[in-house]
Amino acid sequence: MDADALVRDYLTRLDRAATALPAGRRDELTAEVREHIETALTKAGDRGEVTVRNVLERLGAPDEIVAAESGPAGSAAPAGPALSAPSGWTSGSAPPPGWAPAPSASRWGPVEIIALLLLSVGWLILPFIGSLLALVFVWASDRWSTREKVIATVVVLMLVALPLALFMGTSSGVSLTGPQSIPEPIHP
Amino acid sequence: MRDMVPSVARDPLTELRRGVLEYCVLATVRRWEAYAFDIVLVLSRAGGLLTSEGTIYPLLSRLRRDGLVATIWRESESGPPRRYYRITEEGQRALDGFIAEWDRFRAAVDAVLMGRVEEGS
Repeated sequence: MDADALVRDYLTRLDRAATALPAGRRDELTAEVREHIETALTKAGDRGEVTVRNVLERLGAPDEIVAAESGPAGSAAPAGPALSAPSGWTSGSAPPPGWAPAPSASRWGPVEIIALLLLSVGWLILPFIGSLLALVFVWASDRWSTREKVIATVVVLMLVALPLALFMGTSSGVSLTGPQSIPEPIHP
Repeated sequence: MRDMVPSVARDPLTELRRGVLEYCVLATVRRWEAYAFDIVLVLSRAGGLLTSEGTIYPLLSRLRRDGLVATIWRESESGPPRRYYRITEEGQRALDGFIAEWDRFRAAVDAVLMGRVEEGS
């Protein structure tokens, strides 16, 4: 394998090892390491196979680099926004530690706003149906998590079921038996 | 804990090194701004602090996220612009705290290792 192929192979392995990282950070890490190799080879003034192998060996295994992304056990000082950075310097702008697959887009798109409007005032316009329609929009959202959707659904179904249960003169326990027990919408 | 590689597990200083490394990085960018490659040079020159140079990038990314260092892009004489790092006030505080702790820690370990601690009565 010639020198350039060694570098390419290394970067490919790094990129593959980094699939679990958020896309932005994955690209950034690969770019940083690529630049590191470039700088090291420039400083060495030689791009022969031996030099390249040494540079790559000093970098460490791709797996090891990616593993360091999650930090040492019990990492760093408590996070906080840095107020001291002079203009031009940026800090603390990236997502919090822990690498949750943070959604980069806003959590509020048209679907979410309609869902929220229906959830809040939908029942005034269309009793029951408005609220159930709201759930359709809640589940259509690709920005809210399944957990959030389930919570919204349970809350709405309970709010719909409660007046029904009271109206029918039965005990409120009925409303707790689950979504399947919700009768067809009835006029209040 | 994460290291199941025998050669690493045999090195008793691995975890310790990993723990102090971020403060060594903070100390490196305390007085001057530096770019990652320079930080690596300082740490390797100090001797064995950074066993895999590539792990500096995840570390710098974390320090950035935690607001302990700030970054700026600067033109370089050769090649593409480089990202330079410097410590923030937050980082300064973390480093000062660590230095005080480290002094006590080192004194305690030395005292025990050298057999200077007397047994209680």
